[in-house]
Amino acid sequence: MVGYKIKKGLLYAFLVLLAAACLFPFLLMMVNATRSGVEITRGFTLIPGTSLKENMDQVFKFFNPFRGILNSIIVAVPATLLSAYFSALTAYGLGFYKFKGNNFIFFMILIFMMIPGQLSLIGFYNLCSKLHLINSYIPLIVPSIASAGTVFFLRQYIISSMPPALIEAARMEGASEFYIFNRIVLPISKPAVATMGIMGFIGNWNNYLLPMILITKNEKMTLPVMMATLRSSTDIQRNQGAIYLAVAISVIPILLVFACFSKYIISSVTAGAVKE
Amino acid sequence: MKLQKSSKLTAYNRWGYAFVAPFVIVFAIFSVYPVLRTLYLSFTDLKILGKGNWIWFDNYKRVITDKFFWRALGNTLRIWGVNIVLQLGLAFLLVIIFSDVKYKMRGLPVFRILYYLPNLIAATSIAFLFNTLLDWRYGTFNILINSIYKLFGATYNPIDWIGSGSTAPYTLAVIQSWMWFGNSFLMLMASVQGINREYFEAAAIDGANRWTTFGKITLPLIRPIMMYVAITSLIGGLQMFDLPFLMVSQSGAAYRDVQTVMMYLYRFGFTTGSTQTGYASAVAYMLFLIILSVSIVQYKFFNKER
Amino acid sequence: MKTVKKLLSLALALVMVLSLGVFALADDLDPEDPAIADLESIAEPNGDKLVVWTLAEDLVDFGKRYQATTGTEMEVVVIAPEDYPTKVQTALVGGETEPDIIVGEPQMLGDMFSYGAFADLDALGAQDYAGQIVDYVWEVGKDDSGVQRAISYQITPAGIYYRRDIAEKVFGTSDPEEVGKYFADYPTILETAQTLKDAGYRIFSSDSEINFFSGLEPWVVDGKLNLAQARLDYMDLVVALYQGDLTAYANQWSTPWYQAMSGPVPILTADIQNYADDSVNVWASEDEFAEATEGLQQAEVFAFGLPSWGVLTLRDNVGETSGLWGVCAGPEYGMSGGTFIGISELSEKKDLAWDFVKFCTLNEDVADWWITFSEGDTVSLKTVLEAHKDDENPVYGGQKLYAFWQEQAEGIDYSKVTPYDKIIGDAWGAAISAVKTGVSTKEEAIEEFYDTVAYTYPEIEIER
Repeated sequence: MVGYKIKKGLLYAFLVLLAAACLFPFLLMMVNATRSGVEITRGFTLIPGTSLKENMDQVFKFFNPFRGILNSIIVAVPATLLSAYFSALTAYGLGFYKFKGNNFIFFMILIFMMIPGQLSLIGFYNLCSKLHLINSYIPLIVPSIASAGTVFFLRQYIISSMPPALIEAARMEGASEFYIFNRIVLPISKPAVATMGIMGFIGNWNNYLLPMILITKNEKMTLPVMMATLRSSTDIQRNQGAIYLAVAISVIPILLVFACFSKYIISSVTAGAVKE
Repeated sequence: MKLQKSSKLTAYNRWGYAFVAPFVIVFAIFSVYPVLRTLYLSFTDLKILGKGNWIWFDNYKRVITDKFFWRALGNTLRIWGVNIVLQLGLAFLLVIIFSDVKYKMRGLPVFRILYYLPNLIAATSIAFLFNTLLDWRYGTFNILINSIYKLFGATYNPIDWIGSGSTAPYTLAVIQSWMWFGNSFLMLMASVQGINREYFEAAAIDGANRWTTFGKITLPLIRPIMMYVAITSLIGGLQMFDLPFLMVSQSGAAYRDVQTVMMYLYRFGFTTGSTQTGYASAVAYMLFLIILSVSIVQYKFFNKER
Repeated sequence: MKTVKKLLSLALALVMVLSLGVFALADDLDPEDPAIADLESIAEPNGDKLVVWTLAEDLVDFGKRYQATTGTEMEVVVIAPEDYPTKVQTALVGGETEPDIIVGEPQMLGDMFSYGAFADLDALGAQDYAGQIVDYVWEVGKDDSGVQRAISYQITPAGIYYRRDIAEKVFGTSDPEEVGKYFADYPTILETAQTLKDAGYRIFSSDSEINFFSGLEPWVVDGKLNLAQARLDYMDLVVALYQGDLTAYANQWSTPWYQAMSGPVPILTADIQNYADDSVNVWASEDEFAEATEGLQQAEVFAFGLPSWGVLTLRDNVGETSGLWGVCAGPEYGMSGGTFIGISELSEKKDLAWDFVKFCTLNEDVADWWITFSEGDTVSLKTVLEAHKDDENPVYGGQKLYAFWQEQAEGIDYSKVTPYDKIIGDAWGAAISAVKTGVSTKEEAIEEFYDTVAYTYPEIEIER
């Protein structure tokens, strides 16, 4: 029993040490938000500086971060929800129905995940330009309905954790297919949907390249695009503090989402769910 | 009776079309078109703007015969190889610890978010941070090692972690693993938590020990997700770009040992003064073909026992 | 689903809170804004509007001032420099008529001219102003066929920034003319470096400080790669500086590089001497790593090589050594950077846009204001440089910097700059690094350099 406790203690020590290695640079980053650019390029410290106000003023001189957060929410929230719902729908469709073209679609998903994204940028811009979608949020939101990676993950997850007996049972009781998806499949996939939702939100929130190319109006820019403008100072060093502050501001919503939704990544197939 | 059941099953299966329809429509519009356009461009000599000339496979010939492309591929594989072993190894270790039926480790929600933190720091900040910590003559890391050496009366000849070609790829691989292990852990853990508890309970009743449980229940059940993690790590790894690009100067001695395929592509796709869109498109497709062939091997590996 | 509902209500609440914040912060011109605070009155909106895409924040201030002076509404979009060419390129491919004003740095201009991004300024009357702007700046803004397409409001010649107190101690003089003699050519620089080391100093923080002065010959002449003797000499100099332990081994723009501006830095060398040292290295707060840095050698750096905008970098970083600096000429003339303003070929308001370009670059009052407002930046208008030639800069011991920069700018021969310079220059830098660290021999490194150029630019002819 003593050996058990020591071993457990050692494991905790390892976990905590690893956590410290992850937390430490994050804290440095947060502390840097309160220091001036000159102080930052001179070295690190964990003691907060006194330049928070100046950095805030500098950020506001370049852009209004509240508007950036608002714009980012308008893009990231619908994109994440659409991606989560439609990916689960597609994943279930691919994983549990046998129809012609099923394997082909799955194959295409795999293929498209492997194509380096950056190079289709110009083609994507051409498309949006032809559809008159420059300065619109539609090209940033709607394509998330077709998130290849998320579909792939959810398909794998549903295959591994969805008991087919449950679906059969529901059918026997006369439930419609959409009802089955919404009331049985979706709740059971909750850990995976939440995982992908969190990652999707982070991805959408931090997405830089597409909004940078597509949005040309200051008032419509998302937060990462606004943040990048801080790098355009003639003397980039003077903006270092403001850059860190902007990063700190932009990380807060992610942490909130993470904290709120990571509790859904839990064991959801309880003993009670599979009765028959 | 049997006939009726099968026709009913077919009727159910038809719903599959309805379920995948939204995906397919949006996918066709926003993903397929740009990718096909890139394919077209890869057969032209387009530089920046206007219309390129159709030059058939000249771009592809140029990629295949360029030693720098192959060197970049070798660099990418080396960094990725070290990275993936560390990243997935650490993630697996954590999964084993947290899913252990005997120790019942607590605090998963907190640790999960802490381990994910490095992924939330912008790559530029990470690059700056490690460049400063690992600086050859001034970095805290080397100074600490030096003081440890001194404690034992030895002399430490400082290692240039990022500036030297013999260490830089491995340094980058370690940092990359540090950035991404939380991500792999999050996904693997989610799939472990999706496993029906009854299996574990049944195993416990049968008197299976922890390693049997892990090997016989956990591993096989998370195999599909492992495949996902392995393939996405491969895709992400072979497209590695930001850390080496930001941390190693193009005019430094280590650059030739850390230039990845994506950096090679970037030089022709988006760099002022050397933009050659047609050629960059061909490089992108070469990279795609390489990723595809490695993925097929991986896919076969994961599917062989199904 | 409960999750979705929660998320939606959370999002809705956030949107509501934030929209309050947004409406409270209007985008109208603020008369207190430092960029326009000195103006007596602000012009009423005249209904016109210009869209500016810039990679330098400077144009935000120019835009505000233009709006306040003329009443034309200015929409200035700032884009991160590394993404700027891609952004402009995609917009022009898409046939967008916005922006009206686009900009570029010298190394971007070659590409941007070649695909026709910039409108012809001669058609708008640019040549009427020939001779008013410093020559090399005027030349940079011309395309291959000599058509004026962009103009910059700044000059960016390079100089060597040195410590007057150290010069006085080691060379017995702090006068820029005299100190300049110690940087007259590469062999002299090597001697100077040795002298400084013997006196306990390091000549440079990094070994790339002379890079701005190594552009003696063009990299490409008539489609042929030109590896001139001067380039090889530069390689030898860097290798000698490095292997002779003559610099402080910092990388340009790294933390220790900045630290060296304000005084001594502790350096880790292979042969450690037993200095007691209680200053810290990259840890800014006191004592934190003091014990770890014990026994490190002190390095005090004599000089930095930077373009004229280095005036501002040093001003912010010199700390206690403010007033102890001077600027002298390097072994050659050199330049780097500068924002060039032009008009988009697709703009539908070219005349108005030209008025803005003139406002930023050719207007004496504006140039005068810029010198004061930027606290030390340069302008390109000859008359204004002349008018400020007696301005003394206290950080640099009261040196008359505008006179110095004007003199340096006159020596720059822009025909030496090609669009290939950045990539070829970096490849050459990599070759030098390989030689100095002993990874390759000189011959191997040069071969590798040729290969790099050959794979990046198949069109360049290379004689090996």
